[in-house]
Amino acid sequence: MEFLTSLLNGLSSGGTYAIIAIGYTMVYGIAKMLNFAHGDIIMVGGYAMFSTLLLINQPVVALIFAIVFCMILGVCIERFAYRPLRGASPLAVLITAIGVSSLLQSLAQIIFGAAPKMPTRLQISGAIHIGSLAISYGTIVTLAVTVVLMVALTVFVKYSKVGRAMVAVSEDRGAAQLMGINTNAIIAITFAIGSALAAVAAYLMLMKAPSLTNTLGAMPGIKAFTAAVIGGIGSIPGAMLGGVLLGVIESLSLSIPVLAPFTDAIEFAILIVILLVKPAGLLGKTRREKV
Amino acid sequence: MSAIIAFFKKPFIRKYANYFIIALLTLVFGLLSATGSLKMGNQFLMEQIAIAVLLAVSLGMVVGFLGELSLGHAGFMCAGAFIGGKIAQMMVSAMGVSQNNILVLLVSLLVGGLTAALFGFIIGLPALRLRGDYLAIVTLAFGEIVRAVVMNLPDTMFGGTLGVETPRFDRKYFFVIALLMVLVCLAVTQNLMHSKHGRAIISIKDNEIAAKATGIDITRYKLFVFTISSFFAGVAGVLYSYTQSRVQSATFDYNYSIEILVMVVLGGMGSINGSMIAAALITFINVKLQTVLTGNLAVLQNVIYALILIAIVIYRNAPGLKGFREKYNSKTLLAWLKKKLGKGKVADAEATVVAAGVETVEKEEAKDE
Amino acid sequence: MKKILAIVLAALMIAGCCVAFSSCKGNDGTIKIGLSGPLTDSAAVYGKGVANAAQMAIDEINEKGGLNGIKFELKVMDDVNDKTKVQNNYAALVDWGMQISLGCVTTQPALEFKTLSATDDIFFMTPSASADAVRSEANGYQMCFADKKQGVAAANYVNGLGLSKIGVFYQSDIDYSKGIYQEFRNNLSGSITVVEASFTNQTKTDFTQQVSLLKDCEFIFMPIYYQEASLFMTMAKDEAGIKTYYGCDGLDGLDTVLDLSTIPQAITMLTHFKADANDYAKTFVANYTAKYGTDTLNQFGASAYDCVYAIFGALKKAVEAGKTVDASTSASEMCDILKNQFNGGYEYTGAVTGGTEGKVKWTADGFVNKEAQVHVLKEANS
Repeated sequence: MEFLTSLLNGLSSGGTYAIIAIGYTMVYGIAKMLNFAHGDIIMVGGYAMFSTLLLINQPVVALIFAIVFCMILGVCIERFAYRPLRGASPLAVLITAIGVSSLLQSLAQIIFGAAPKMPTRLQISGAIHIGSLAISYGTIVTLAVTVVLMVALTVFVKYSKVGRAMVAVSEDRGAAQLMGINTNAIIAITFAIGSALAAVAAYLMLMKAPSLTNTLGAMPGIKAFTAAVIGGIGSIPGAMLGGVLLGVIESLSLSIPVLAPFTDAIEFAILIVILLVKPAGLLGKTRREKV
Repeated sequence: MSAIIAFFKKPFIRKYANYFIIALLTLVFGLLSATGSLKMGNQFLMEQIAIAVLLAVSLGMVVGFLGELSLGHAGFMCAGAFIGGKIAQMMVSAMGVSQNNILVLLVSLLVGGLTAALFGFIIGLPALRLRGDYLAIVTLAFGEIVRAVVMNLPDTMFGGTLGVETPRFDRKYFFVIALLMVLVCLAVTQNLMHSKHGRAIISIKDNEIAAKATGIDITRYKLFVFTISSFFAGVAGVLYSYTQSRVQSATFDYNYSIEILVMVVLGGMGSINGSMIAAALITFINVKLQTVLTGNLAVLQNVIYALILIAIVIYRNAPGLKGFREKYNSKTLLAWLKKKLGKGKVADAEATVVAAGVETVEKEEAKDE
Repeated sequence: MKKILAIVLAALMIAGCCVAFSSCKGNDGTIKIGLSGPLTDSAAVYGKGVANAAQMAIDEINEKGGLNGIKFELKVMDDVNDKTKVQNNYAALVDWGMQISLGCVTTQPALEFKTLSATDDIFFMTPSASADAVRSEANGYQMCFADKKQGVAAANYVNGLGLSKIGVFYQSDIDYSKGIYQEFRNNLSGSITVVEASFTNQTKTDFTQQVSLLKDCEFIFMPIYYQEASLFMTMAKDEAGIKTYYGCDGLDGLDTVLDLSTIPQAITMLTHFKADANDYAKTFVANYTAKYGTDTLNQFGASAYDCVYAIFGALKKAVEAGKTVDASTSASEMCDILKNQFNGGYEYTGAVTGGTEGKVKWTADGFVNKEAQVHVLKEANS
């Protein structure tokens, strides 16, 4: 029974990781850059919701506002910090992303202060009881949202015109441009989608654990990056799989007191093992380099 | 005056200019410190600069020359700091010698470096299978694992959450030793990179398959670079442990690795001098921001640092700013300053100095491209 | 070639500057007190609380004429709770002319500060760095309880409750939490079963799993800081199995982030600061709130306020005994004077954190000796 509870908890936190990881993976697939500031967009989304709740005490309104705000922010960051560097070394972009991350964190602290904010209005409590097993509404909402978003995004990428343009840009940016695709616009759209997902992730996190600081997104961001790599970076189902796997491992490890302090080490060790067996992640495609 | 200029024009001196500059700085500051006219803050600053330079130069071998992205450099440093620091502490208490015993320091530097090198070798193995960002995440994971494991070992080994106690060298002279280690590291890296092995390593970065086709043993070279690089990270770790009364694993998180990476990238990929200048400048800026912005202004530290970082990276790398770069760079700034300030000797020298650092980096970069 | 010459010149110039600046140390007639604490990042609340309260105490003292006319001055530097940064702050403070110090706010940096200041013989009294090791050199004192003492006191309290099973929720990667927990466990009666749940700095954003582990424990001991405690309590508020939370001084500040009436469980803590413990505390809280609001009002600040007044009181007593203390007294002379006072049975009265009596003394081995209070933050909702 305790094992089942841990498993459910793991699925729930894994769902959140999955959503962040999908954003990571999409941006990576298309812009070919590690967006280290992705985690901090979650934090901004959290503060956006918190601020909205001060004016209008409606979680749904707050969520919508946060999504819009994060989308605009994501596009702005792309436009002013990453686009000037298109064509430059990927490491240069990585460093800018680190700079943006640090900037967002410090600005949040200047504006909102260092003490944690607790938007308890977002909290969803209560549970469905099946026998002695309690499934909290939070878990159900998280899993539902994750699955719906994953399916929607997969369908969007596969069948819509913009989605297919995204695939084209990620396969070969130059060729895509020659085919008449506006690559700048496509990349901006990808950032918008990724940031919107970050805002949703912020909601899912605060819904279960309503405590908000300027480092809210830092560690989940890294974990989600790990999840994206486990699943095979660039693959949406892979990010989902990686996220859920990571969440479950984390939860099981936390449930054993002796292992609990080693939780991070265990997660990362499993990552290394997976990559040694499958160098491109679980669902990633190994590309043979042609001479 | 002309004699001095003539001296520096000799080809031999020219080739080893960076050694001379560091040696001279070491000598001048060492003498100042010995006479008691160097402030404590500057002694600490020099120590930190030396450690940062060691880290940047060693990481530069992996990132800049071999072309692999490593985000776990702090992990190697962590291994060196804990093992080296622990050994030094044990030797100091077992042999009953002072904390300033140079023999103990040398032994611990060697042991710490070798431990880190061993880890580097182990982490180099997956590097053979993984490429690019996948390797980056594995190195990041490695760093975090080392950190978490060290912290949760029994308290009697590495002190648990409090960290391990280490000897603390006399700060008056320690930076001299640290700078001498920089010279050693520089000698190894620069000679290696100018040798046929160095050219082989660079060829792996440029095109692995072509390198393989010309008969270069890629496996061997990759492992070699990872091992050497982590050796010096370990050395830096031991030096660090000697500047602190305790070493705590929380220090070596992935943010630290990223900080080192920033130095390498800002210095210019594959430029040893660039890495050194960037490491020294970034350390200097950070320490100055920390000590100048006190009290309520402290929140501005990170904002200013981040803005400087973004601005420099965009200025130096953005393809769209090529024209701008050509119009406004260190040389034009220098010319402008000359015009503005007339022929004032001091101002002249100062402007040249500011420009020289940037210029070296740019030249080396141009060479690479 | 000019380049090399230029760099050589630059080196000489930098060296020249260092020499030039080191010789001039301004003295504007005040006694200088230095402090290093986290003003940014996740521990900033503590650093700010300390900085504000210490400044408030100094302003008050100066307004009343200082030490026979000699004013005090405070300089606070940011160490981001990062021990590596402490040496720079320390050097800057020494260059500034620091004569007395409040040490560091948090434990890790304080340990570094201790070693540095021991070499130079500078007196410090930390308001809140609680590890026992902070007090291992003759020049360092604490205003807060040492971790060991808190762990023992908590264990004794729990032993007296007659429970058969308790839960413990602690942070495994910080010394404060792990230190108290270990000491607690060593002193806990063997007949009590302990259910353990922990988190690290990397897993502190979501406590779903930990709540499930502890949900059947009536009594939960949490030697952690209030940020994480507030999150746990919010997440576990529907768990009817949990009746009481019990924590140490780290829980202080809970009510600044959390509306305690929304938590059905009872919350009790062992602390040295209670807003209504004595009249001094009441005055302190009123003045602090008027000046800085309630956001950063916590025991760290209260303790810092006491540190300043304790040092001031000790100096005053030394002056009465015929010692000369002024702006030109060197740091090591200051250190001797203060050490003699604190080791020689000096009693500081009027302490905000000094229990109902408002009194603080130091034992012969330098540890603080004052009344620990069980503070019921709130009763269980009926």
